[in-house]
Amino acid sequence: MIDLKNLTIEKAHESLKNKEYSVRELADAYLDVIKEKNSVINAYLEVYKDIDEQVKIAQEMFDNDTATLLTGIPIAIKDNILYEGHVASASSKILENHIATYDSFVIHKLKEQGVVVLGRTNMDEFAMGSSTETSAYGVTRNPLDTERVPGGSSGGSAASVAALMSLASLGTETCGSVRQPASFCGLVGLKPSYGAVSRSGIIAMGSSLDQVGPMGKSVNDVEIIFNAISKHDAKDSTSIPDEKRNILKNPIKKRIGIPREFLQGGGIDSEVLKNFEEGCEKLRKVGYEIVDVSLPSIKYSLAIYYIIMPAEVSSNLARYDGIRYGLSEKADNLFDVYAKSRGKGFGKEARRRILLGTYILSHGYHDAYYNTAIKVRKIIKDELTNIFSEVDAIITPTVPFLPFKLGERLNDPMSMYLCDIFSAPANLADIPSISIPSGKTEAGLPFGIQITAPFLREDILFAIGKDLEKLIAE
Amino acid sequence: MSFLTNRMQIEDVKKLANLARIDMSEDEMKEVAKDFDSILAYVGQVQEASKLVQGEQDITEKGKRPEDHFLYNVMREDVTTNKSGEHTEKILKNAPETEDGFIKVKQIM
Repeated sequence: MIDLKNLTIEKAHESLKNKEYSVRELADAYLDVIKEKNSVINAYLEVYKDIDEQVKIAQEMFDNDTATLLTGIPIAIKDNILYEGHVASASSKILENHIATYDSFVIHKLKEQGVVVLGRTNMDEFAMGSSTETSAYGVTRNPLDTERVPGGSSGGSAASVAALMSLASLGTETCGSVRQPASFCGLVGLKPSYGAVSRSGIIAMGSSLDQVGPMGKSVNDVEIIFNAISKHDAKDSTSIPDEKRNILKNPIKKRIGIPREFLQGGGIDSEVLKNFEEGCEKLRKVGYEIVDVSLPSIKYSLAIYYIIMPAEVSSNLARYDGIRYGLSEKADNLFDVYAKSRGKGFGKEARRRILLGTYILSHGYHDAYYNTAIKVRKIIKDELTNIFSEVDAIITPTVPFLPFKLGERLNDPMSMYLCDIFSAPANLADIPSISIPSGKTEAGLPFGIQITAPFLREDILFAIGKDLEKLIAE
Repeated sequence: MSFLTNRMQIEDVKKLANLARIDMSEDEMKEVAKDFDSILAYVGQVQEASKLVQGEQDITEKGKRPEDHFLYNVMREDVTTNKSGEHTEKILKNAPETEDGFIKVKQIM
């Protein structure tokens, strides 16, 4: 029996290398859990049929001594990540039978190392949501409490790791969609710097914000995957070139800022706040200086996000027209082919956001909304950049409240959107941010603490994250 | 900018659905109009936030470095990167209707 609960990438690698078990046995251990639990949790939409071939390739790498740290590691990927020859539907009816015609950059990089991709995971449709309830293929349940949501939009990827149905997973973020489900499922989740990981082969939502991010049970697992996928890619015009990645890195001062006013305005639960203060206290005890900092404009982040994102959504989702791929409805004229295919193919939240974006970009409104929003985005970015001359990182809770019950927020879009209040600044400012599990309530619901660092300083997140992880475990 | 507080009417939603090419029932349009009221009230904070913007700002790339995060051009020169027909079969497999290696559409004119 492999101890999946305490398994890490490094431990699995050692065991595979020392032939304690084979790649096949490791994959089978996860497939057994999937067989047992997925019908209730619904983390996976599909377990891939080519696992045998993937296992064979990985085992050969061990047998001929070309294996790397990720060889044979069983992972899950979100349903908006293209993997050639496999369905990628973004959990939408409009892409139900869409087969990826090429590999995304992240799959390409992981395949080089012989990762075993077990399957694709459920998500909010087109990554629009914070609970994985807007999927066209049913809800995903939180493995820690199946009456509650796993968070979203990468809820399936989070649930797969939390339920021991994968060792680690990939999600994507536009605003909190890796960090928030990681927090809700008691995991580590990273949103990399914008441009660190290529967006090539990721089904787009808000292109100026989208990033792929890893999730795992430990900071080290997340760091290993991040290092594997954080490379320049000519196929993404916003991918950071190699020469710009080697920036001079200031040493860590062990000084962290709490944006106090922002925290107080966030509608935060008292339990969550108490856990957060305790986490900060633990960091203080091991030598971190934690100070209040003033970031007066970041309170506008979520409002600004809900202008920029729908504008980009309405443009990006214009490609689903029933002509080149995806669902196509028969009609007498071209207009009706479009309108019927899109009306039937898109779910409610996708339709709502497309219309919102159409409104925001329409004549007479785009100046007041979109153009102003991108100016304020720049102010938020500058404000955060400046604060990092005083502190290494910013710390907040990941989400203002605990995982909520299925259905609790689904019919009130604004209450769902507020899940992302603490997530938005990092996405708007292009900077990296991580969620670290911070213990549980008596009932077993997980807390999460979020750390945000300067552009391309994921190393700071991993350093503080590892300290915090150790302190929480004590 | 008083329109930022205007209430959304069902006719407005109808117009947007038409622009976005999405068939929608009357009932859903009513619901969307209601949802929009609360969402637009929230994003209306942009009006308050706009006071932070100092002076006239050109949001295009003129005189701005890409890292300044306004809009800028990322297009490269158009060059051929693949062999003719290299991806055709795979791509056409996803198309709802094809004929002789082409994707078929309804008559446009």
